[in-house]
Amino acid sequence: MTSADASGRVLHAPPLAGVETPATVSSWLTTVDHKRIGILYGATGFAFFLLGGLEALLIRLQLAVPNNTVVSAHVYNALFTMHGTTMIFLAIMPFNAALFNYMVPLLIGARDVAFPRLNALSYWLFLAGGLLLNASLLAGTPPDVGWFGYANLTSKHYTPGPGVDFWIVSLQILGVSSVIAAINFIVTILNMRAPGMTMMRMPVFVWMTLVVQFLIALAFPPITVGLIFLMFDRFFGTHFYDVAAGADLHLWQHLFWIFGHPEVYILILPAFGIVSEVLPTFARKPLFGAPVVIYSGVLIGFFGFSVWSHHMFAAGMGPVADSAFSIATMLIAIPTGVKIFNWLATLWGGTIRTTTALHFAVGLVGLFTIGGLSGIMHASPPVDLQQTDSYFVVAHLHYVLIGGSLFGLFAGAYYWWPKMTGRLLGEWLGRIQFWVMFAGFNLAFFPQHYLGAIGMPRRVYTYPGDAGWTAGNFASTVGAFGIGVSVLLFIVNAWRSLRRGASAPADPWDGRTLEWRTSSPPPAHDFDTIPPVYGRDSFWREKYGPRRGAPAAASPAPPHLPASSHWPIMIAHGMGIAAVGALTHVSIVVIGALWTIWGIFRLALEHHRTHAHADQTGVLGLDHRKMAMWVFLGSECFFFGTLVATYLAYKGRSVVGPAPHEIFNIPVTSLSTFDLLMSSLLMVLALAAVQRGDRRQALLWLFGTAFFGLIFLGFQAYEFTDFVHKGFTLQRNLFGSTFFVLTGLHGTHVAIGVLWLLALWVLALRGRLGVADAVKVEIAGLYWHFVDVVWIAIFTLVYLIP
Amino acid sequence: MKDEQRGSEHPTVGTYVKVALVLTMVTALEVGVIYVRRLAPIVVPLLLAMSAAKFALVALFFMHLRYESRVPTVLFVGPLILASGIAVALMTLTGAFLVFGR
Repeated sequence: MTSADASGRVLHAPPLAGVETPATVSSWLTTVDHKRIGILYGATGFAFFLLGGLEALLIRLQLAVPNNTVVSAHVYNALFTMHGTTMIFLAIMPFNAALFNYMVPLLIGARDVAFPRLNALSYWLFLAGGLLLNASLLAGTPPDVGWFGYANLTSKHYTPGPGVDFWIVSLQILGVSSVIAAINFIVTILNMRAPGMTMMRMPVFVWMTLVVQFLIALAFPPITVGLIFLMFDRFFGTHFYDVAAGADLHLWQHLFWIFGHPEVYILILPAFGIVSEVLPTFARKPLFGAPVVIYSGVLIGFFGFSVWSHHMFAAGMGPVADSAFSIATMLIAIPTGVKIFNWLATLWGGTIRTTTALHFAVGLVGLFTIGGLSGIMHASPPVDLQQTDSYFVVAHLHYVLIGGSLFGLFAGAYYWWPKMTGRLLGEWLGRIQFWVMFAGFNLAFFPQHYLGAIGMPRRVYTYPGDAGWTAGNFASTVGAFGIGVSVLLFIVNAWRSLRRGASAPADPWDGRTLEWRTSSPPPAHDFDTIPPVYGRDSFWREKYGPRRGAPAAASPAPPHLPASSHWPIMIAHGMGIAAVGALTHVSIVVIGALWTIWGIFRLALEHHRTHAHADQTGVLGLDHRKMAMWVFLGSECFFFGTLVATYLAYKGRSVVGPAPHEIFNIPVTSLSTFDLLMSSLLMVLALAAVQRGDRRQALLWLFGTAFFGLIFLGFQAYEFTDFVHKGFTLQRNLFGSTFFVLTGLHGTHVAIGVLWLLALWVLALRGRLGVADAVKVEIAGLYWHFVDVVWIAIFTLVYLIP
Repeated sequence: MKDEQRGSEHPTVGTYVKVALVLTMVTALEVGVIYVRRLAPIVVPLLLAMSAAKFALVALFFMHLRYESRVPTVLFVGPLILASGIAVALMTLTGAFLVFGR
């Protein structure tokens, strides 16, 4: 048995019987352990980080001196596109995901995340997306349109090669991975906290994780829709970004930045959370004004959705829009400033231990402040017009994303490395790494403020010798190599630590939060008994008092850990194959799609009868699966909201007919609407039947619901066929593009619902859908009713409103 | 209604059927009003109101929001409001309907 003290604190961690995790390759491929998945995210993210760093060094080599010829203009375009995309989606986000995965369950006193197998699926999809994006390099056609991919540079006309297709498909897979992970962490944080861990007792890192997951769940759907439009334009000849057909190129910019600005907070807020854990630990003081720091993070996340157009001041939106977005952007400075002052106040008067982690955390406070201040300058449209597309902006974003995110992540790496590996990193080498990175970073990016101010534009692959930009660029290149050296030092430090580093005790920093209460590294089950929570900084209170609230009783039952599963990696394979098919041949798409669907069914049924999975009610009194479905439906509101808004924004802009009123058959669509509404009635009757254990009625109403769904799809097939016969197609005009994609995607949702319902019906037919499975019918029902309410909106906004 | 009370309630089959009847009637009204010329000046707000009513009925009764704790309501209605606001802003910014002049 694991040895523990009287309060259940783990002192030594030999694995419990039945929950050992062997270190074989297959055990890693099929793992669902949040800690292992965290390590996989971290290691994979670091590999991509090195690749993105190499691309950055090539960029800086090319710009080191005027008229340089290290790379061609075309290669340079590909380098900055791949560098930006890689660092954002394949390095910083997975670094954050690594810490979310490893630390969040430990910080809230849980044994795993709510959906361990979905967690594994998120990782494997991330890997598939990352490999596919970088496969474009092997294919010799990397994307070269910038990480922002502005339309219509991305059109088939201007960029005919497959580079953009690689980019689109990879980002879609990465988006699916991120949204699945976001839903998982929202449910985990809200529903799996240890008894006594109220929301306001949660560590700030967990709070920032929660905010970030909402940002991911809600901000990714608009870019998903934007990418679907782009994919349809390139693959099927639609007109979403075709000015000649009446389209507005600003649409892409809006969709991209509705995602893109929250993405900045997705990248930076986890670092804010890390700093909020590191500073109190090494100042040996509670975080100053912790609730205010939490509220500030929530406000930053909320305001993050209202400022996207400050990236478009140069696009000519007009003074009203410019003013609104300018004010909103300046408002964000308030909660951000609050955090900075709270961190400083935490250090003030503290008994400071100057560890490497603290160095990086304090580095973030200083460097992010510089990035934040230049950000406020961009918030003013007249100033922004001078700075936009200049190196000033390059300096700003790197002060935010390196000075902020990366310094924060290194703080987190040095802070939590002992917990993750059971070894200490070298402090002396760590401090050298910090100072080399600090100096290199400032040398690389501070001169770029000046370069931008004197007119050096972004995204130019060379410059003349008499422009006055030579010294600044040379210094910048030297600094970039300094950052490279510091990363090498970290690799050396990590290697030495893993090979012969000093063993880390359970609590090497005299920590404040629950992860320090268990061994380093933690056992597979995290905690022998669910830890008691005595207040904010619970472990500190447990050690030094005062304790508030009664500790939870030790759970008598042995911990249940989910069995490993190969279905996540199989599903990711299927989606990867489908993605490759999108770039090659439709038959491969079909194979990949069928593989994926098969994998999803097997994953869903893998533990259908596992007793330990029957009750998943969490601390908020809601089943994990139901909560996940509600979060997913919230995300879907953004998905369909974007589609409907685009349809309406483009309404009446087609340069050729037909117009909606010339083509719609309202009586027929009314019948299909009635059919779908009635299917919702059958769905609730099916749920009621399952809940009372009436198998015959359950079979009848489940099949009826699916059948009504099929009738709706039949109506849609009839409508589409009729339109095509009349010459109204996807490619006909802007109306055709928006109409078919909107209603087609809704129809796809209905089809998925029908498949789901038929699967439940087959289970009921085989006697495997009892009262205990009612929640499975309930979440299928929630999805079905949502599809119904979306159609209610579409019917009115698309068909009825003249 | 207290949260714990809300979570334990279930609507009856009769309630479901009544809601379905109302949904049918409102749909019929929606289709009807677009053919009434005298309603033309108010047809858009009228249709939007009826659509919102149908949406709310399905969400409250069929999706059980009326009977659940506040958690699902916050998780669904919060994003719904935010998404609606962003959709309106997107349409305004692309000129589909201008709340303000450019």
